[in-house]
Amino acid sequence: MRFISEPFSNLCEISTKLKGFVMGRLFIKLTIIITVVSLLFIPVNNFVKQSHDYNINHAMLAFKKHPYPVDIINLGTSHSMYAYYFKPTGLSHLDLALPAQTIQYDYKLLREYGEYLKPDGVVIISISQITFANSETNYVGNYYKVLDRTEIEPFDLIDYYSYLYLPALDSGRFNSALAGKFKNFKWNSHQSWKNNGKNYSERKYEKVEAQYREAIENKTIEQNVEQLREMVDYCSEKGYRVVLTMEPVQQSYQEYFNEEVMNKLVFQYLKPLELDIPFLNYMSDHRFVNNREYFIDPDHLNSEGRKKYSWIVYKDLKKLGYL
Amino acid sequence: MTFISIEFLLFFAIIVFTYYLIPHRLRWILLLAASYVFYAILSIQFIPLLLTSTAFTYVTGIIIEKQETKKQKKKVMLVGIFVLLFFLGWFKYFNFVNDSFRAIAKYMDWNYTLPYQEIVLPLAISFYTLQAVSYLVDIYYGKQKAERHYGYFSIYFAFFPQLVAGPIERAKKLLPQFKVEQKLNYENLHYGMKRIAWGFFKKTLIADRLAPIVSSVFDNPNPTGSQIVLATILFSIQLFADFSALSDIAIGCAKMLGINLSENFKQPHYAVSIADFWSRWHITFSTWLRDYIFIPLCKGKKKRSEIYLAIVMTFLVSGIWHGAAWTFVIWGFIHGFYRVFGDYTKQFRGKMASFIQLDQSPVLHKWIKIAITFLLVCFSRVFFRSDSVTQAFENAQLFLTIHSWRPSGIVQAFEIFSLLDLVIFLFFFIIVQIFHYIERNNVSTWKWLSGNSITARFAFYIFIIVSVLIFGVSGQGFIYGGF
Repeated sequence: MRFISEPFSNLCEISTKLKGFVMGRLFIKLTIIITVVSLLFIPVNNFVKQSHDYNINHAMLAFKKHPYPVDIINLGTSHSMYAYYFKPTGLSHLDLALPAQTIQYDYKLLREYGEYLKPDGVVIISISQITFANSETNYVGNYYKVLDRTEIEPFDLIDYYSYLYLPALDSGRFNSALAGKFKNFKWNSHQSWKNNGKNYSERKYEKVEAQYREAIENKTIEQNVEQLREMVDYCSEKGYRVVLTMEPVQQSYQEYFNEEVMNKLVFQYLKPLELDIPFLNYMSDHRFVNNREYFIDPDHLNSEGRKKYSWIVYKDLKKLGYL
Repeated sequence: MTFISIEFLLFFAIIVFTYYLIPHRLRWILLLAASYVFYAILSIQFIPLLLTSTAFTYVTGIIIEKQETKKQKKKVMLVGIFVLLFFLGWFKYFNFVNDSFRAIAKYMDWNYTLPYQEIVLPLAISFYTLQAVSYLVDIYYGKQKAERHYGYFSIYFAFFPQLVAGPIERAKKLLPQFKVEQKLNYENLHYGMKRIAWGFFKKTLIADRLAPIVSSVFDNPNPTGSQIVLATILFSIQLFADFSALSDIAIGCAKMLGINLSENFKQPHYAVSIADFWSRWHITFSTWLRDYIFIPLCKGKKKRSEIYLAIVMTFLVSGIWHGAAWTFVIWGFIHGFYRVFGDYTKQFRGKMASFIQLDQSPVLHKWIKIAITFLLVCFSRVFFRSDSVTQAFENAQLFLTIHSWRPSGIVQAFEIFSLLDLVIFLFFFIIVQIFHYIERNNVSTWKWLSGNSITARFAFYIFIIVSVLIFGVSGQGFIYGGF
C-alpha cells in the first residue's frame, strides 16, 4: 500500500507546487520564450522554403504531378543538370540530375521515372569527375518528395518531417538559402572567373581529390562502379537505349582535370567494365573549351551553352541511330 | 543519440519529469536505467564491459576496506587498479603498442608477425576508469568508505550526464548527492536549462562551424604555413568550445536533477602561464593527475630535478591518456617541458620584466603573458591535431616558420572560410567573448544577467535559442567523446 500511496502523495506535492508561484513562473517564462522563438522562426523558415536550393528538384516535382511520355532522360550531377535543354529539338525531356547526385540515386530515380520513357527512349548517364568517388550521405533531403520513402537511405523520420515543414532547422539548408541570396558576397579570389577561372578550378580540384581519397579509404568506388553496371543492365533489360556522356568544361577546369587526373578518377574504373554502350565524351570539346561565354563557371554550362550543347548531343544521338 | 539532438532533449525531459514524480527511494533505479539506456543507445556492445567494470570496482572497494593491514589493502588496491588498467590498456593501447613494436622490428630488421587487430574503443572507458581508480585509491587512504549500495555505486560509475566525457568526479562528492532527496527547485531547473542552452550555443555555433574548416587544412596534403597557423588557432578555439560545451551540458543536466558537478573550465585561453592554464583547462582531470599521479610520484622526493621529472612523467601520462598515438605522447611531453621550463625560469623572467619595466604596466604585462601562453598552447596542439608524427613535425615546422606569420599571409589564409561563413562565425565568436568578458569581471554572467531587466534577459535567452535553431551546425561528435 505504501508503494502505491507514496508516488501519489508525491504527485500531489508536485501538482501543489505547479500551482504555486515558483513553477508557474518557469512555465510562463518558457511559454513566452517558445512563442517568441516560434514567431521569429516562421519568416526564416519561409525564406528557406522559397530558396532556389530548397526547390532544386522543382522540375521533377512538376513532372511527378503531371507526368507525360518522354523521349529522353538525363541522369547525373549538376554538370548534367545544367547541360541539357532539348526543347528546341522537339524532344520531350526529363531532367533527373541533381547537384552531387550519387549513382545510387541515379538508379533509384531511373527505376521510379523510367516507366514514362517512350519505347526506344534514350537514357543519358552522365559521368563526371565525382561519379565514382561520390558517397551517399549528403543531400538525401532532395529526394524526400520525388522518391518513395523506402528508397531513401538512411531514412530518418525526424529529418524527413523537418525537411518538409521546418527546413530552416537544418543550418545547411539555411546557409544554402542565405548563400543564394548573397551570391556575390564572396572573397574576390573565390569569384568564379577570378584569375580566368583557375582559382575556382583549383578549389574544385582539391575538393574532388579529398573526396577521392576518402572514397578510396571507405571503399565506395567499387560500389559505385558496380552500381553503374547494374544500372546499364537494368536499362538493357527494360529496352532503354543508354549512352554515357561527359559534359564540356572550360579550359581552366580542363587544366586541372587533365587526362592523367581523369584517368585516375574515372577511366581506370570505367574501361574494365567494357560496357557495350556508346560513350560521348565532350569534356575537352574544342567548341566549348575556349568559349567562356558558354559557361556560368568553369564546369557548368549556361543557358546559351546548354542550347548549343544539347543540339550537338541530339545530332550525335541521331548519328548513332538512337533517335 | 548524442547530446546535441532532439532525441536527447526529449529523453532528458522525460527523465527529469519522472525523477521528480517518483519517490526518492526509487530514483536511483530511474537514474541507473536512464544511464544504461543512454550508454546502450550509443554503444550497446560495450554494456557488458561497463557492467563488469562496475561490479569489479564495487567488490574490490569492499575487499580493500575489509583488509586489516595497510599492506594487504595496498595489495588489493594494486590488483584492482591493474585489472582496470588492463581493460583500458587492452582496448585503447593494444594497437598502439603493437604498431610501435612493429615499427621498431622493421627498423631493426627483426621478424615481427603480430598483425594489426581491429579493436573498437569502448565509449567512455577512459573516463570511468579514472573514476574507478580514484575510488579504489581513496578507499585505501581512508578518504572514502566503500559503498555498499550497489545501485548508488553503479550510478556513480555510469551517471549519464557525465559518463561520456566527464567532468571526472570523485565518489566523495557524487555519491552523497544521489542519496539525498533532491527537491523540485526552480533555481536548479532554470540554471540547468541555461547551462544546457549555452552548451548547445558553443557546440553548434563555434565548435561545429569550425570543425570542417580546421579539417580542410589538416587534411590537406600541402597546406601553407599561414593556413597551419590559422587552423591551429582555430582548432584551439574549436577544442575549447567543443569540450566546454560538453561540460556545460553535463553540468546543466545534472543540475536539473539537483546534482552538482564540478566545473571543468575557467576560461583557459586567458591563462597567464602554463601552470595557470592547467588550473583552468579540464580541471577535474588535472586535479585527478595531481592527486593520483603527481603527488604519489613526488612522495619522498625533495630535489628539484626529481620534482621536475615527476612533472614530465605526469604530463606524459596525460598525453597517453588522451590518445593512443605518439602525437599525444609528444603533446604531453611538450606540456611537461613548458611546465618545467616555466618554473625554472620564473625568477629570471620576473627580473627581465623588471629590467624592461614591463612590470610597471601590469595590464600590458598580463596580456603579453596571456598571448604567449596561448601561442605555446596552440603550438602543442599542432601535435594534438595532426594525424601522424611525420605530419605533426611538418606542421610544427610550418607553425614555427616566421614566414607563416606574415600578416598578409594570415589574412589570405582566412579564405579557407567562405566570406559568409566567416562573418557568421565572427559574430558568434564575439558574442562568446563578450560573455567571457562579463564573466571575468563578475562572478557569473548568468548572475549578472539576472540583475538586468526582464526584457534584456528574455532577449538573450531567445537570441541563444533562435541562433542555435537557425545557425547551429550539428552532426559532429564531441572530440573528447572519442578519448
